[in-house]
Amino acid sequence: MTSRPLIRCEQLRVGYRGRAILPAIDVSIGAGELWALVGRNGSGKSTWFQTVLGLLPAVSGSVQRAPDLRLSYVPQRLKLDELFPVRARDVVAMGLERNWSLLSMAGKRRQRARAALQRVAASELADQPFRALSEGQKQRVLLARLFASEPQLALLDEPTSAMDAVAERDTLRLLDTLRREHGTTVIVVCHALGLVREIAEQILFFDAGGSAVISGSTKDVLEHEAFRQNYQSAEAGT
Amino acid sequence: MPHSQPSWAEFVAGWELGIYRDAIYSGALAGLVLGYLGVYVVLRRMVFITAAVSQAAGFGVALAFLIQIHLSLTLPPVMLAITLSLATAGLFALPLERLLISRESLLGVAYLLTSAGSVMVGDRISQEAHDISAILFGSAVLVRTQDLQALAAVGSSALLFHVVVHRGLLFAIFDPQSARVQGLPVRLLDLSSFLLTALVVSVATRALGVLPVFAFAVLPGVTGLLLAGRAPSVLAIAAAIGALSGLGGYMLAFFYEFPVGACQTVVAAAPLVIALPWHFVRQRLRELHSPPHPSAPPSANG
Repeated sequence: MTSRPLIRCEQLRVGYRGRAILPAIDVSIGAGELWALVGRNGSGKSTWFQTVLGLLPAVSGSVQRAPDLRLSYVPQRLKLDELFPVRARDVVAMGLERNWSLLSMAGKRRQRARAALQRVAASELADQPFRALSEGQKQRVLLARLFASEPQLALLDEPTSAMDAVAERDTLRLLDTLRREHGTTVIVVCHALGLVREIAEQILFFDAGGSAVISGSTKDVLEHEAFRQNYQSAEAGT
Repeated sequence: MPHSQPSWAEFVAGWELGIYRDAIYSGALAGLVLGYLGVYVVLRRMVFITAAVSQAAGFGVALAFLIQIHLSLTLPPVMLAITLSLATAGLFALPLERLLISRESLLGVAYLLTSAGSVMVGDRISQEAHDISAILFGSAVLVRTQDLQALAAVGSSALLFHVVVHRGLLFAIFDPQSARVQGLPVRLLDLSSFLLTALVVSVATRALGVLPVFAFAVLPGVTGLLLAGRAPSVLAIAAAIGALSGLGGYMLAFFYEFPVGACQTVVAAAPLVIALPWHFVRQRLRELHSPPHPSAPPSANG
């Protein structure tokens, strides 16, 4: 697919305190594409993710974003505060905040939050305290927040890690629907290789040793030698 | 001759004379504002920020005296106290994640450094120690009108700010990374919130003393979080408990002749003592009666 790039990484090196942990990455991600980030734990996926989001500075190279790009992010659930006094629909309504909108009146936030929850089949959770939800339910609520934010580019860090296999499959299909119906670009960290093969058009693969980052079509990356070496045993069971 | 406790008529007479009116207003106002701000303090897990800010204020006052004695330069002690309090609070809005240091650790560092500084400087100005104490820590028994006015000014400003940015601030504390990605001014919100809280703590400490200020900034917030499940309710409960503690604590002290600050602390703690078992029982009942978590997957058809 050729489309207007929303994100372009040029010779991007990511890492911490000026030390690169991965080789330079060149990748261009266009509007309406669905990318899967694949790699073993500790391979540098989250570091790249955070750099693209602007949460970490690049060690060298550059990340160019389309002007006025509407970004939204679903973090790993472990990073969220469990004690917060918010209901599920309050969390979803956070997706409606952008820039200085926090100074505006609440408006139709409640209806929009409910609509987003309905979209992920979680309407019944609307008035539940977020902290009382199961991990899988929390991830669905965060997914609803993403939908409510109507992003041009959605980045999700392991959004299905606490879900059962069926919920995981349907969540990834829902992301595919978001891409197809709204033209949203989706970048998702996912370990379910079977689903990645089914849904993702493109893959950014992070080699476990940090020696290579390979991008390309799903078919090409899955057949790449480095990928096969990393996932030989997993592939055998898929 | 046996000592009798003060009567209601004596209390009313004193009130009409205006003897402790400002002290009661100050207690209630500080309780209300700090109860409200304390919810954010507790949610940030920074309850000892009050102690660190108070220590920084003490260090500031001691420094002002030291400078006056050794350099013959007169600096207003209260201004130096507020400046150091704000500087301490401002530290917590730094991008600490890049320094690999938690806010809790930084809190400890700030507290220890300002405490050590106060002791060392105090050692050189021991004859002024009484003045420092008087400038820093009110007794909450009698409060000067100008302290009440200062508290009203900074308290209403802090309250107004936190009410206006409530939604954004909550998002920024709950999930700062996503809030930043969505363009919210997380750092600015944090910095403003810390500075205003520090300002209220400094001014309230000057009027009422350390103990009740610390109590107002922690206990009502914790109680509110136990009693309610939604932020607006938590904030309302905490503010109400804080205000009632300021008022009730003074009356308890008046009628039973206890120190005011300690009474305000005890009254602020009383709802927490009730809320803890209530919260525990409610949790257990909810677990017993709640249906299993629904497992219906989301629909790909929207």
